[in-house]
Amino acid sequence: MLQGALSGLAAGGVYAIIAVCLTLMSRLVRVVNFSQAATGMFGSYVAVWMVSHAGLPIWLATIAGILVGGLLSGIIGWIIATWLSEADTTTRSAVTVGPLLLLISLSFILFGNKPQPFQPLLAGPAFTVSGVVISQVTVAMVLLAIVVAVVSKVVLSRTTVGTQLRALSERPTTAELIGIPAKPLGVAVWAITGIISTIVIVIVAPSQSNDAIALSMLIVPAAAAALLGAFRRLDLAVIGGLVLGVIQGFVAQIDQVSFVRYFLPFLFIVGLLLWNQRKAVWDAAR
Amino acid sequence: MKKYLLGVAAIGAASVLVLSGCTGSTGDGGGDASPIVVGSVNALSGAAAFPEASQAAKAVFDAVNAEGGINGHLIDYKILDDKGDPAAAAAAAREVVSADNAVALVGSASLLECEINGDYYVQQDIVSIPGVGVDPVCFNNPNISPANVGPFLDMTLSLLYGSEVLGLDNICAMLEIAGSTLPAYQAAIDKWTEITGKKLIYVDDTVPYGAADYTPYIVALKEHGCQAVTVNPVEPDSIGQLKAAQAQGLTDVTWLLLTSVYSENFSKAITDAGAGIYVPAEFYPFTDAESPETKDWRTLMEANNIPLTSFSQGGFLAATYFVQVVKGIKGDITRESVAKALREMDPIDNPMVGTPYVFGPGDTHNSNTAGFPVKLLSGTNQWELAADDWLTIPE
Repeated sequence: MLQGALSGLAAGGVYAIIAVCLTLMSRLVRVVNFSQAATGMFGSYVAVWMVSHAGLPIWLATIAGILVGGLLSGIIGWIIATWLSEADTTTRSAVTVGPLLLLISLSFILFGNKPQPFQPLLAGPAFTVSGVVISQVTVAMVLLAIVVAVVSKVVLSRTTVGTQLRALSERPTTAELIGIPAKPLGVAVWAITGIISTIVIVIVAPSQSNDAIALSMLIVPAAAAALLGAFRRLDLAVIGGLVLGVIQGFVAQIDQVSFVRYFLPFLFIVGLLLWNQRKAVWDAAR
Repeated sequence: MKKYLLGVAAIGAASVLVLSGCTGSTGDGGGDASPIVVGSVNALSGAAAFPEASQAAKAVFDAVNAEGGINGHLIDYKILDDKGDPAAAAAAAREVVSADNAVALVGSASLLECEINGDYYVQQDIVSIPGVGVDPVCFNNPNISPANVGPFLDMTLSLLYGSEVLGLDNICAMLEIAGSTLPAYQAAIDKWTEITGKKLIYVDDTVPYGAADYTPYIVALKEHGCQAVTVNPVEPDSIGQLKAAQAQGLTDVTWLLLTSVYSENFSKAITDAGAGIYVPAEFYPFTDAESPETKDWRTLMEANNIPLTSFSQGGFLAATYFVQVVKGIKGDITRESVAKALREMDPIDNPMVGTPYVFGPGDTHNSNTAGFPVKLLSGTNQWELAADDWLTIPE
């Protein structure tokens, strides 16, 4: 039982970081970014392509790939900030489905649908707990999730930029009127979360299924994790990601409940939504 | 306005005439030098696309056409895309069978085409020789007889190789089940049990397609003490499983996989193959570049810039068998005469397969029952022959 739970930790760490990015985006730029993992996927594919076709050293290609991921995310953010600055969260979020599908299709067109020769940046076991090897990648992911959440929290509550970002998210019009540069700050949030998700995917892609769809669809369990914190709380997003990964690993060991493996994130989402709405009056909730 | 309506009516009538004229001339295929229409339904786009089978079949037909066709009739080969989508697969079959009035389907390669269109082919009494049949109906329909072994008998062969040739005990299975394929894989495993008297020690038939992380499933293998594991993976999933096994230190397990992973890209993407990856290749291994068995196919593929894969071998063979049978037809080449000729054909030998191809009169067809063992070992990044001869399922 414990073994199964531990074996899901690697996946849980990835869900947690992407969930933190999603929460940041939702809080600061009012968007649930469905293309969050897809930009990371595309950046990491660019990195692999640079190693295998352009002959770049792996570290240089990785940095270039991460920058491409950040740039792509920044461009999507710029488009939304330019043409949809007044739109509501639902509309802005729906728009990000476009880049999600575009990036998946584009990666098929540019890189084909055959497996890519990913080279590991981190490899090997870190330590072993009750027969389950905890890999370096797992350790890195769990730590990175916590670090990103803590740093974001500190930046938002202790720095001037953080105050400005919070002002923009709480009272956008007032913030703009007192001279806070909304667009550059918004685009910067997009670019930074793009960079973080590309770093994550560049690290995990060599050690797991790494076709374009599997990587892009990491967004589903990550969104489920972010929902635990209602897309507001970073700590709950991290916990949500880790818990979801652990439950998935746990369920995979029990044959009787194997049928839920496929849609566990969806069950998680439905369960959380029902819980969140438990006190809502039906008419008001609608 | 009236004039305009008349014009529309005239164009409509003209196109009906043209359309009916078209179907009339190709329908019986009996007119002087009228083309023989042959179709194929393929996964050309989507996440899992394999266009090589129909490209290879087209190369064979082009070569036949360049020499004057079959008994003076050129082959008009129609390649349609099913997009991996059931509705598109059904529409493609109806287009090529009803509208184009094809005499047969040859060289198709699709994940779901047989299952969707099998009943329609029976109803229209049109026969299909898929280059690469994947779903169970391809091997379980009176009008379909693929050129390849198929994933089910391939799994029986893979298990036979593991238990009988490599002498492995404690074999497990991880099955990725799509649609209604579980009974067919179960039957393949039962067939192995019937031949060897051995049983799998652990079967997990709920392994998901396209999972991001397979660690939990690998941990389960470890707990059950599996010495070897047979899987029916698509390439990316298999890579994910091997990476997870590597991370969990499960390096002494032998992987008994299927032809679905036998490709150059796969071997380049794998650094750690555990105690070895073994695959019974459904056709003579194309990675053995100097082999005389694959020379004809290789020459034609290279001349047409078609990738050298198992899929292009299947498409090549399907088209080659079709041409050979149709050349023997006396009289008109029609849907009926092609079906009759295939059902009454003599077996055709080809060095690229281990057992002769025969369509035959049966209700089910799976004439290809041999695989050529190949292996991929850690650190080599290339497939090597693992035997001198075909491994055939005993009668």
